[in-house]
Amino acid sequence: MHGPEIQWYVVLSGMLFATGALGVMLRRNPLIILLSVEIMLNSANLLLIAMSRLRGGEDGQIFAISVMAVAASEVVVGLGLIVAMGRRNVELDVDKLRTLRG
Amino acid sequence: MATASWVCLLLPLASAIAITAAGTAIPRRIAAYVSTLTTMGAFVAAIVAFADMAGKSAPHRGAATTSWTWLSAGPYHFGLTLLTDQLSIVMMLIVTGVGSLIVAYSVGYMDGEDEERRFFAYMSLFVFSMLLLVQGGNLLLLLAGWGMVGLSSYLLIGYYQERESAIKAAKKAFVMNAFGDATMALALFLLIQHTGKLDYAGVFAGSPHGGAVANLIALGLLGGAVAKSAQIPLHTWLPDAMEGPTPVSALIHAATMVTAGVYLIVRCHPLFENAYVIADLAAGLGAATLLMAGLIALVQTDIKRVIAYSTMSQIGYMFVGAGLGAYPNAMFHLMTHAFFKGLLFLAAGIAIHAVVGEQDIRKLAGVGKLMPFTKWVFLAGSLALVGIFPFAGFFSKDAIIAAALDRGWYGDVIYAACLAGAFLTGIYAFRLFFIVFTGEPSAFAREHFHAHHGQEGPISMLWTVGALGVLSVVGGLLQFAPIWHPLTTWLDPVDHPIAEATSTQEWVTSALAILIGLAGIGVAWTMYGAKRIKVPRAVPLFEKKFYWDELYDVIWYRMGDLVARGFYALVEAPLIGGSIAAVTGVVGLGSRELSVAQNGLVRSYVLALAGGLAVLTVVFLAVR
Repeated sequence: MHGPEIQWYVVLSGMLFATGALGVMLRRNPLIILLSVEIMLNSANLLLIAMSRLRGGEDGQIFAISVMAVAASEVVVGLGLIVAMGRRNVELDVDKLRTLRG
Repeated sequence: MATASWVCLLLPLASAIAITAAGTAIPRRIAAYVSTLTTMGAFVAAIVAFADMAGKSAPHRGAATTSWTWLSAGPYHFGLTLLTDQLSIVMMLIVTGVGSLIVAYSVGYMDGEDEERRFFAYMSLFVFSMLLLVQGGNLLLLLAGWGMVGLSSYLLIGYYQERESAIKAAKKAFVMNAFGDATMALALFLLIQHTGKLDYAGVFAGSPHGGAVANLIALGLLGGAVAKSAQIPLHTWLPDAMEGPTPVSALIHAATMVTAGVYLIVRCHPLFENAYVIADLAAGLGAATLLMAGLIALVQTDIKRVIAYSTMSQIGYMFVGAGLGAYPNAMFHLMTHAFFKGLLFLAAGIAIHAVVGEQDIRKLAGVGKLMPFTKWVFLAGSLALVGIFPFAGFFSKDAIIAAALDRGWYGDVIYAACLAGAFLTGIYAFRLFFIVFTGEPSAFAREHFHAHHGQEGPISMLWTVGALGVLSVVGGLLQFAPIWHPLTTWLDPVDHPIAEATSTQEWVTSALAILIGLAGIGVAWTMYGAKRIKVPRAVPLFEKKFYWDELYDVIWYRMGDLVARGFYALVEAPLIGGSIAAVTGVVGLGSRELSVAQNGLVRSYVLALAGGLAVLTVVFLAVR
């Protein structure tokens, strides 16, 4: 077993996740929010791979690849929406998009 | 004899089923003839049974036949039993005999009606119901017949179903009769509880003597009798029942329905003798009814309603006889009444039929001049009704009145009431006769009178009325209490009278009643025949029929309405309506408050998610 101990991976993954979550919560630009979501997904991927290596199996890595595929499709949809918004001259600010208010 | 009884019972039923099943496959006339012939066949069967019975010695005449056990529950078994004894054979003869004359009459009367088939199916069903009632060998079958008679009367009173008043009258009759059915059923429950049986012999042997239970049983039976026979206080359906076709009125009044109450009391007389208070009550109700109906009949202007009130009055006499214990006399009057009341209705029907269905005596006035045959038979019926020698009513009514003298002061009071009733009978019967059948025809009658091929009516209407006319004249000769009494002797094994007048009382009463009846006729003649004195203005109390309908309106409709409104205001609106309003209110308020959280800011949702996750994490870590 080479490389850093498992704790480092967990801490890095947690920091990445917190960064992403804070980005989703604090930023108002949908593009940045989308990026933050990607950071959160990748933090999860990192943890999956690290744990998989620790246990010596491959299933975690397979999961990570699936997550990447899902993330890629998600980005396509999300970016598409954002581009559509930009083309319609909608201001790129999620706080202005409040039609869901009850 | 058993076979004859079954044939008698089932022929009318077969006719009703056949006419119904055949539907439009048979012509209307055929339905009429099927119904007539089967009813006559039932009469023949009744005669055969009677002849068979008469050939036996008195103690062996009654016989019960059971076809199968109809109902069995635990220790109780109720068979489909026919009891043919001296009492039921008399009823069978009356029901089928007078009934077949009336059905035969309908062949002419209903000619050309659109729904003749339905009419005749109902008529057959009616006769069957009544036969079931009188032939049933236990109280359960009697109750079944009782209910079916109510149903048939409902169907026939509402025969003109396009007429709203007919439907209302039918419903009224049905509801009032259902009330009587209910009290009877309660009485039967008590009998089952206390005797475990419902067959007549078992019930009479086992039922309690005196006491509250015996009184309740008799009272329940009396309730049924009063409703079916249209006595106070359940009488208001009978005048309204005139909405049906005239033969139906004749059938209800003469042969089938209203006599059932008298039959019930006479049949169950041991139960009433065990509860003499209730028997006296029956006699009292009869006396009150005969007076009240006589007074109302004085001012009615509808020819059929006058006759209807006279039926109530005559049934009142029968109740007096049955209640005081003069059972054979009550049955005798039931029989003669069937003859002359059938005659009066059918003769009135000829007049109504000839004058385009008009029933108002002011418009029918003087029509007798155009139809002499009807005039004479109506006169015979009226004389029989008033009880003038030698017509039928004389023999039967006077016997009942005289028997009242055998029952102490209570009997004396009823005796006086009956004599007063005889006076009223003379007035109202001959008011009708003088107005409608004497004097010059009114313009209306002259204009609308239609002779039927030169006759007063179709031949089927004339010969039946003629037959009833003959019976009304000679029918009473069957029994003249002071001299010969075959009917009393015949009925004695089943119904031994407990009130009998002495020969002197009979003679004196007969003389008195004739004089009083003649006095009544005299009054009617001076007022309506000779028009010597002016007719006094009608008393509103009589015109409004003693306000019974209004009273029931106040007691049942208004009170029910009031209670319903009260419950609406006190229970439904606050509790049921209120609880639903409260549920919607709470949900609405809660949703409004909670909707504040849905501010549409995606970031705040995420914050809530993350916050919730953090809290859960802490909880899991802390609790472990």
